[in-house]
Amino acid sequence: MAAQGCAPRRLLQLLQLLLLLGAGAAGAQWRGEGTSRNLESIFLGRCAEYSSLLLSPAEREKNCTAIWEAFKVVLDKDPCSVLPSDYDLFINLSRHALPRDKSLFWENNHLLVTSFAENGHRLMPLCDVLYGRVGDFLSWCRQKNGSGLDYESCPSSEDCENNPVDSYWKRASIQYSMDSSGVIYVMLNGSEPKGAYPVKGFFADFEIPYLQKDKITRIEIWVMHEIQGPKVESCGEGTVKILEERLEAMGFQYSCVNDYLPVKLLMCVDHSTHPDCALNSAAASTQRDGSSLYTDRGATLTMALLMALASGAQMQLEPPLS
Amino acid sequence: MPDYEFSPASGDRPRSWISKQVLIVLGVCLPVILALAIWVGVLTWRQSSMGATDHVSAIVLGRCLTYTRNMHPELRNQDCKKILNTFTSAFVSKDPCNITKEDYQPLIDLVTQTVPCNKTLFWSRSKELAHQYSGIQKEMFTLEDTLLGYIADNLVWCGDPRTSEVKEEFCPYRNENCSSTATSVFWTVVSQKFAESACGTVYVMLNGSRTTAFSKASTFGSVEVFNLHPDRVHTLHAWVMHDIGGVERDSCLGSSIKELKSIVNQRNISFFCQDDYRPARFVQCVRHPEHPSCSVLM
Repeated sequence: MAAQGCAPRRLLQLLQLLLLLGAGAAGAQWRGEGTSRNLESIFLGRCAEYSSLLLSPAEREKNCTAIWEAFKVVLDKDPCSVLPSDYDLFINLSRHALPRDKSLFWENNHLLVTSFAENGHRLMPLCDVLYGRVGDFLSWCRQKNGSGLDYESCPSSEDCENNPVDSYWKRASIQYSMDSSGVIYVMLNGSEPKGAYPVKGFFADFEIPYLQKDKITRIEIWVMHEIQGPKVESCGEGTVKILEERLEAMGFQYSCVNDYLPVKLLMCVDHSTHPDCALNSAAASTQRDGSSLYTDRGATLTMALLMALASGAQMQLEPPLS
Repeated sequence: MPDYEFSPASGDRPRSWISKQVLIVLGVCLPVILALAIWVGVLTWRQSSMGATDHVSAIVLGRCLTYTRNMHPELRNQDCKKILNTFTSAFVSKDPCNITKEDYQPLIDLVTQTVPCNKTLFWSRSKELAHQYSGIQKEMFTLEDTLLGYIADNLVWCGDPRTSEVKEEFCPYRNENCSSTATSVFWTVVSQKFAESACGTVYVMLNGSRTTAFSKASTFGSVEVFNLHPDRVHTLHAWVMHDIGGVERDSCLGSSIKELKSIVNQRNISFFCQDDYRPARFVQCVRHPEHPSCSVLM
């Protein structure tokens, strides 16, 4: 899973670049984005919403105020001295059971994961778990010299290792792995030039080592390739092979699928006219028989409109899979 | 004896002049500083107790902040605390069965959001699919992808004349004895505004596995269709989706669509219809990848 939890790397890098440009003038201290405004309200709102809408009745008694109080102890600490263990109480209060066979680990395909997971209903990646949801897309840190929050900037991993946000995601990732059970799914990006499985990353360093062999039946890897994108790696190749060998050495039963069909179909929403998304002839003819085009201005206009829609759909920007 | 002492001695003219100045300055500044300190203290207290509200308010505020800060930063100057207060004022302490459109007017006036032309997606009896679709095609907006729809989606709320609380439990259902609930009136009001502000080509996702894909009893058929402005909207494009492996009860050729077409044309808006619009079909196929109508050439 990418750093900053579910926040896409590219977006964060862009934000960091913008921050740097702005910070150049303001003299900001760190490379990372500053504390999110109204952090407490967003946190409490997300906690309330998650508890009431997504947790089972038995678990709904989560005390969001207590969870916030446990979380905010890190806001009093030096922003380069926050350890993953500083979030232990926060995790203890916010953790809840993860449904079996619903854990989804991933690298470099945040948007696809969010769409496919359907808000925790189909699968439950870390950002659909309470302790992942409350911090998603947010940033926080105390000022270096002083007791208030730093809204200008916060340390990134390049500034120092033990920064509040990285330590949060490390701790959350560890817990997520430990609580996962049944079939584990891993979605990787086979069009990523640097390799589908980052050998140093959140998944490699803070998730795989904490998977519980006695709770896990098997691990299924999906290597997805962007439509119209390069097939940099597939199952059994390059870094995917490294991952497979690592899992085997750890004693896990695993399998690997290229372009897992349900996820592929999701990618086709954006590329419905691409040859890779063509329905086979039997299905296509069923479609044609069943479909009807009803217009008040004649078939030619309809065709023109449909072609315009189709080419418009094809011109949609692909979700950045990184 | 040379005067090297620096400690103040009474009676020395320059020193008492300085002390007086200091006293005057302190006399003026101290009350100001004190007032400032009290003001900051009150603000901080209010800030910290901002979160100590009921469930619905916490969710609405959190969603508003997430929407305006993370999802749509072009709306970052919206005041979420004010939006929350204006929202709750519409129904707290009021008869939960007699809420009026006027009650929500301040909220409608407060939040202005322009959905780009050709990007409005209405839905009727197809909420889940429409949202899955707009979740992937992020430039399309259903009502629940706008700020007002987003903060309220899937929530239940009401007031009570006996309290000033925002309630989420024991809220009355809408029926013949209780026709104007806080939630039903909210959705009518925001749907109307959503339709009024739409422009260009607008889309509607309908459910062809229901007996009638288009129904005048639905919010789309009773509120939204009639609030499209012919000066702004020139075309309505309907997608009649059928459940995969489900029954096809209605389609673009059916009589309910004829009725929709006639309503729309009478308002001087063009109408097109398509069964099982392909990109949305792919969304459905994610759940039924093995179905024949979802077979994709690899």
